[in-house]
Amino acid sequence: MSNQPDRSALRNLQDKTAIVGVGTTEFGAIYRDLDPERSAYELGLIAFREALKDAGLKRTEVDGVIVSRLPHYGRMCEMIGLRHPRFANVLPGEGRQSGIALQYAALAVANGMADVVACIYGNNGRSAGAKYGGESRGISTQAMFEAPYGMTSPGAVTSMMFRRHQFRYGTTTEPLAHLAISNRANAALNPNAVMQRPLTMDDYHGARFIAEPLCLLDYCLINDGGVCFIVTSAERARDLKHPPVLLHATSQASDITPVYVADDFWHEPMSQIADDLFSYSDVQRDDLAFAQLYDNFTPTMLFTLEGMGFCEPGEGGDWITPERIGLHGELPLNTGGGHTSESYMQGWALHVEAVRQLRQKCGERQVDDAQYGLYACAAPLATGHILKRDDR
Amino acid sequence: MTTESQTPQLSYEKPLPPVLELTKPFWDGCRESVLQFQFCNICDLPWFPPAEACPRCLQDDWEWRPISGHGTVWSWIRMWQKYFPGWSPDEYPYTVALIKLEEGPYMYSTLVEIEDKDVSCDLSVEVDFRKVNDEITLPVFRPMST
Repeated sequence: MSNQPDRSALRNLQDKTAIVGVGTTEFGAIYRDLDPERSAYELGLIAFREALKDAGLKRTEVDGVIVSRLPHYGRMCEMIGLRHPRFANVLPGEGRQSGIALQYAALAVANGMADVVACIYGNNGRSAGAKYGGESRGISTQAMFEAPYGMTSPGAVTSMMFRRHQFRYGTTTEPLAHLAISNRANAALNPNAVMQRPLTMDDYHGARFIAEPLCLLDYCLINDGGVCFIVTSAERARDLKHPPVLLHATSQASDITPVYVADDFWHEPMSQIADDLFSYSDVQRDDLAFAQLYDNFTPTMLFTLEGMGFCEPGEGGDWITPERIGLHGELPLNTGGGHTSESYMQGWALHVEAVRQLRQKCGERQVDDAQYGLYACAAPLATGHILKRDDR
Repeated sequence: MTTESQTPQLSYEKPLPPVLELTKPFWDGCRESVLQFQFCNICDLPWFPPAEACPRCLQDDWEWRPISGHGTVWSWIRMWQKYFPGWSPDEYPYTVALIKLEEGPYMYSTLVEIEDKDVSCDLSVEVDFRKVNDEITLPVFRPMST
C-alpha cells in the first residue's frame, strides 16, 4: 500500500463546510396522488424552494448546483433562474451518488469554486412506472449475460449477497426483520413518511418474496419526491438561520466488479471509509448519536455495520437488536424511517434527516444528545460522512 | 419433427442476448458446447464479461480460449417477481445462480439437474448447455459429476 495518498490530507476539509438549508417535497401526500405529468424537475424545484427558505438564503446567492437523477443541470438551472453558475454538473441517478454530491459541493466551496452550492435531486419514479428490474434491451452486460437467465434488479444482487452471508456466518432473516420494523416505527413518528402503519414480526415473515431470501419488506419503496441540501462555508454558515451542520469528516472507497456483488460484503471499502472518518477526526463510534445507513434493501445496513466496525464481520445478525437500533438505543438507525418506510430518495432524504436530527428539530423521533451523526452508503462506490452540530 | 420440438422455438419469449462482433465467438463456442473466456496473450489473464482489451495490460492482444467449465455456486436466489416475459406461471420461482469459475471470473447463470432444496453456496458445478435457437445456446450449470 506504499503508493496510497496521504489520507490525513482529508483533515483539511474538516469542519470547513456546512449544510445550511434542507428541503423536501411531501412524500406521503404525493405517494397517494399519482401524476403521469409530474416531472422530476418540478420535484427538484419544490425541494430547492424549501431549502432556500430553510436556510434564509436568496435564490440569487446560490452560485453552484449539482443535480442527480435529474437528467440535465441546464434545465434545473433554467427553472430556478440560475443563469450564471460558477459550478454546475450532473451526477448519475444512483443512490450512491447522494453522498458524493455532498463531497463535491464541499470540495467546490472549500476550494473557492463557489460560495453556495445547491444539491438537487428529483425522482418521479413511481408516477413514471419505474420497476428497477426487467431491462433486457441494448448491449449492456445485463442484457447480454444476465437477462437471458431472468437475472435483474438491484434487489436480486443484494439477495445474492445476503444468501452468501447466511451461508458463511449462519445469519438468519431475523435481523432484517428488526431493521424493517425499526424503520417503520421511526416512520410512524415522521409526519412526512410514506408508510406509517407499524409492522410486526408476523408481517415480516408473511410478506411475499421478491428475490428469495429477500421479501417485500426488505425492499425500499418506489415513490416520487424531491430533495435539496444547500452547502456553504462554515464561516458563512454561522451568519445564517440555523446552527450549522458541519461536514466534519468524509470519505469514499470502492469495489467495482462486473457482477456488482463483493466477496467480502464491501468490508474492505467500508473499513477504509471508517478508518478515514475515525482516524482523521476526534470523533469515535461511541460519540455518534445516530447513523443514517443506506437501505436500498435491509441487508445493506447489516453489511455497513460490519464493514464500519460497529461489530465484527459475521456478527451483524446478533448485533442488530431492537433495543440497540431504536431511537433511544446505543446507535439509533435511520431515524426518519429510511428508504423502506419514509421515502426512497436514494440517500438524499437520509442526509436531510441527519441535518434535522443535529438541529434537534425532529419532534417525537428526536434522538438524545445529537452532536455527531453518521451517514454511510455501502455500494460498489461507497461513501461515509460524520456530520457535526456546530454550537459556536 | 414433433410438435414438441417446434413449439419451444416458436414461443421462446425470454430475453435473448444480442450477438455482437465482440461476443460472437462466445456464442459460437456455446453452440459447440465449449465455454470460452478471453485471455490476454501477454499476461494470460482471463476476464468476463467480454471487453475490448485486457483490464491489466490494456492491450488488445488477446484470444478466446476454452475454460474448464468448473466452478462453484457463489450464491443463488429464487426469483418470484415477474420482471420479464417468457417465464410461464409454473416456472416461478425460478433459480438464478452466481457461479465463480475456476479461472476466476464470475457469471450469472442457472442450475439444472438439481432441486432447490439441494442447492447450497460453494456447491461444485460444471457447465452444461441448453439450445435456445440456431444462434443462441445458453451455458447453464449442473452439479459436478462424481
